[in-house]
Formats: sequence, C-alpha cells, structure tokens
Amino acid sequence: MIVQSTYRRRWRMLAAWGVVALFVFPLYYWITTAFKNARDIFDRPPNVWVFEPTLKNFEEVFGISLGFLRQQEVLPGGGNFYMAPRLWDSIVVAIGSTTLSVMIATLAAYALSRLDFKNRHLFVGWVLSTRMMPPVAVAIPLFFIYKDVGLLDSYTGIILIHAVMNLPLAVLLMKSFFDDIPREIDESAIIDGASRWLIFRRVILPMAKGGIAATAVLCFIFSWTEFVFVLTLTQTGLKTVPVVSSSFVTSTGTAWGNMAALGAAAMIPAFIFILLVQKQLVRGLTLGSLKQ
Amino acid sequence: MATVEYRNIAKTYGAFEVMHDLNLSIADGEFAVLLGASGCGKTTLLRMTAGLETVTAGDLLIDDRRVNDVPPRDRDIAMVFQNYALYPTMTVAENISFSLEIRSVPKAERRRRAEEAAALVGLTEHLNRYPRELSGGQRQRVAMARAMVRDAKVFLFDEPLSNLDAKLRAQMRFEIRQLHDRLGTTTIYVTHDQIEAMTMADKIVLMRGGEIEQVGTPDELYDRPVSRFAADFIGSPAMNFVEGTIEANGNAPAFVAEGMHLALSTSISALPGRRVVCGLRPADLVLDTDGSVEGHLVLAEKTGPDLQLHMTVGGQDFIATAPRDANVQSGDRVRLTVAPEKLHLFDPDNGQRL
Repeated sequence: MIVQSTYRRRWRMLAAWGVVALFVFPLYYWITTAFKNARDIFDRPPNVWVFEPTLKNFEEVFGISLGFLRQQEVLPGGGNFYMAPRLWDSIVVAIGSTTLSVMIATLAAYALSRLDFKNRHLFVGWVLSTRMMPPVAVAIPLFFIYKDVGLLDSYTGIILIHAVMNLPLAVLLMKSFFDDIPREIDESAIIDGASRWLIFRRVILPMAKGGIAATAVLCFIFSWTEFVFVLTLTQTGLKTVPVVSSSFVTSTGTAWGNMAALGAAAMIPAFIFILLVQKQLVRGLTLGSLKQ
Repeated sequence: MATVEYRNIAKTYGAFEVMHDLNLSIADGEFAVLLGASGCGKTTLLRMTAGLETVTAGDLLIDDRRVNDVPPRDRDIAMVFQNYALYPTMTVAENISFSLEIRSVPKAERRRRAEEAAALVGLTEHLNRYPRELSGGQRQRVAMARAMVRDAKVFLFDEPLSNLDAKLRAQMRFEIRQLHDRLGTTTIYVTHDQIEAMTMADKIVLMRGGEIEQVGTPDELYDRPVSRFAADFIGSPAMNFVEGTIEANGNAPAFVAEGMHLALSTSISALPGRRVVCGLRPADLVLDTDGSVEGHLVLAEKTGPDLQLHMTVGGQDFIATAPRDANVQSGDRVRLTVAPEKLHLFDPDNGQRL
C-alpha cells in the first residue's frame, strides 16, 4: 500500500464512514419503520432510535398472527394488505426471467465473441440499440399483443418480457467477459479436437462463472424492481412487490408501516440470491492459464 | 511422423496480401524453425498449417495429403502456444488428457498416457495441480505434455519461450530439442530469436515480408547468408557492414573503404571498381598490430567470456570481439585483421550476396 500520512488517512476513514452512513441510514430508517406503530411513524420530530417495537405490520402484510393465518383481511379504507403471495410472484418472475435471459445471453454472447459471421458488429450494435428503448413506449402495444396471444396476467408473460428487456445488457456484459478470455484457449481446444459446443461447455463456460454471476445479479435486480410491465400486463393473476407497494396508498392515507414491512421482507430474497452468487463474482477470470 | 509441404501458398486478408507464392518442404522428423521479425508471416504460416487460418491459394500437404480444407482436429497436429493457453479450470492431468477424452479414450489409458507425457517433461509431481499454481516454466511444460500426449504427426510451436526469463529459456531450448531427438516427430517452430533458431534447428527458414529469404542449416545461414538481410539477422552481435569498392592489384583483388584495406579470396567474381557492401562478423575479427582495419576504440564491454569492442572505423560504428585478456583501453587506436574467406560481399542495391 502507498504510504500516507496518519492525518490524511484519518480524514479518509472519516469521509468513508460518512458515505457509508449516508447510504445505510435510509435502509435503517425503512426497516425500523416496519417495526413501528402508526403513532411512532407519524411522530414529529421522528423517533429514529427509540420506539416501541411491534410485529403488527408484518402480521397484516403476511397474514401470520400467533400461528394461524388470516387471509384477505380488508382493512378500513378498503385496502387488502395480505401480500405474502405477491412476494412469491416476485420470486418466481425474478428467478424465471433471470434464468432465461442468462441462458440465452451466454450462448448469444459466446457466438458474438467468437464466431465470425457477416455483419457481426452491426448485430452487436442492434442488440445495444434495443436497450435504448424506454419500457413505456412498448408497454401499451404489448398489452394488446399479450391480450391477443393470451399471455396477459400470466407468469410466462411477465417472465418473457423481463427476460427480453434484460437480454441486451446481459448479452453485452457476457460478451465483454468472453472477450477477456484469450482466443488461444479456444484454438488450443480446437486443435485438441473439441467441437464448438464442447469448447463452450467444458472450457469457456467454467471460466466465465464470474461473468455469469455478475450478469445474473443485474438481471435479478432489474426484474425484482421492475414496475411498468407488471403494472400494465397483469390484473389479478399475479402482481410483483413494486406494483403492490403502491396499493398501500389508500383513500384514507398511506399505510407506511405495512409498506415498510413488505419492502423490508422483499430485500431478503434478493439478498439471499446475491449471497449465493457472490463467491463466483469475486473469482478471477482466467485463473492463471496465461502468462500475463 | 510426417512430411509437410507448402506449394505456392498465398494468404490475403481482404485486399491485403501477406504471403505470395511460398514454397517449402519439411522432411519427416525434421526440426524446422521459421525465423523472422514480427509481421513477416511466420506465425500466419504456422496457423495455416494448424488449420486456424484458411489458405487463400496453393496447396498445403501433410504426409502427402492435401489438407487445405481439413479441419484442425483431423489434421493430426499438436500445437504449443506462446501464452500456453492452458485450461485454467482443469488440473494438469486433465489439461494433458483433454484431447484423449474428446477421442473417447478409456479413463485408465488416459491417465496412463497423461502420466507418461508428464514424466517426459518432469511434471509427475504436479499432475493434480491447477495451472495457476504453477510457475511459468512448469506451465510451458504442461503445454508441451499436452501436445505430446497425442502422438501427433507434426508438432507446432508458436514462440513458446518468449514469455520465460533468459535462464529458463536456455534450459527449455535444450529440453525441447532433446525431446525432439527422443520422439523424432516432425516439428515446426516459430521464433524471432535467432539464437533459438541457431541452437535448435535442423533447418532454418528465414522469412521476410511474407517471403522466404533463405532456407538452410544453421551453419549455412551463418557462413553463407544469401543476402545482407540474412547476414544481419543471424549472429549476435550483428554483422558489421561497410560500403566500399573492389580494387585489383594485379591478380589479388581487395576490398577498400575508409580505414580498411582487405585482401579478398581470388575466387571473388565481382569486377574491379565495383561498389559493394562488405560484411564482417564481429567474431571473425582478430586483434593484430599489422591488421588492415584501423579504428578508434570507444568502449571495451566485458561480457564475461570475452570483450566486445565498440569502435568507429572510418566514421562508422563497428563491433568486434576480443579475448577477455586483450590489452586494450577506451580511446586506443586499434588494428584488426580478418581472414579473406570470412568476408561477405553484397550488392549495395539489392542486398544479394555476390
């Protein structure tokens, strides 16, 4: 490490902790809100550190109260706050679309990185250009298309559109990972007698695990937080967490505590997913196959 | 084992022609070195042999079979890459036996052959390690074992030693040549290092700008370079070149330039009065108080076994080697002599040997 004066180093540490606090505080405030009574939530000045903890918000949102399930409870103001199935919807959609887009993107990116075909660079440009399209521009036309082909209000429909929206970024990201793997490794395998598919499966794919993990995390987060398509393309069959969060805004006021409870709970699956793939994220790409 | 033959080979990338009408044949069991500066087409030729590049025109024959349109895996060749190109997620044993696995060789036999190949290059201890756990020299050996395990007809080496340090390079040079002598497989070896070419080759193919400049044994290239380019490329320190004229004193021709007057062997066919370039190898120059090359010694560099004399002769830089105990000092006037048969004469215009 480069030598720095103690004074400077202390200032740097202080600044670093300041930035961390800036990012962590809203998270802390949101999570504690989930455990607060309405009285504590609306108190002015706000009770940041001291409040009476309660599980009421979680009970209402997930229907769990002292061991028995209360379903479809309609609260004053007409809101239905039972959201456990919506969390499940989110998980199914996010995992489904992530799996789909990573699978397609990995194959497409390898082809774009390694195979020589006519106008390859135009193809790459076209893939990138589809990323420029704003979701709202296609949401309404897509509604009519989905209605006609019967994909409206279905897991398949949402998984498909999330995967499609993720594909350009996933393809380009995976391509950059494949581009970093030296071509000589492919050529070496070609001379060893391997087919393209075998090279991809046995040699290149194990080397690209880090890239796949990074791509999967990005796709997962996109799908987990996506709003417009779920809002327009679903009715009652499924709704994901970001969309139902808006239903806590009722005619009699906003149920901040319930919204925070759902939001806090929604962090957990995403957190678990990232924990699962992070081991791959930090692994080196070429792992010493080449003299660097 | 096999012969390799190139007939009127041409290679173009779009409109850019990198090779034109190249002819070469490599005998069964020969160690051929393709030598040349970067961009001379040597690697392209090797990659065409491997099937990693298409041949634009001409015929490429391995063991008298035309292989222009044969994919790499059916050519029965093995290749060692400059950066080794090992499979990082496989162990040494898996790296070595991957080609056998593809050919559905039974597991027990795969293991046995991998062990044999590893033993040949001294890697038995490391079979279960991953490439990242090996040193540069060991990785190089894995790459070689991977090539050898298959009993291929031809071994191709693409500058395999250029990433190693000087000491290891000298050792691997010896090991590769020794392996070749033991296995007897036809080998094509690409390098830009003339020392590798001189020490390892049965046959050196010196290339320049996509064409073959000279083909011959290391001795032929050293003793009778066909051109000024070939003379300059082979030998370290490089040959000195002096421009001058041929003069005839009765029956004895001589080369005359500023600061030198050198007797030529009578077999020289160049006409008196003709302008020529004379090449003198530093190692052929001998300190001699009656010598006919006179120069000013700028620096006597100690290399260990001998001295390298950096001089100016007739205003031109000049290098000679001298024994380490030679009594010379920087700033001295020094006289050197050279045997007439050690002189190389070249045409000053086209650089061809006279």
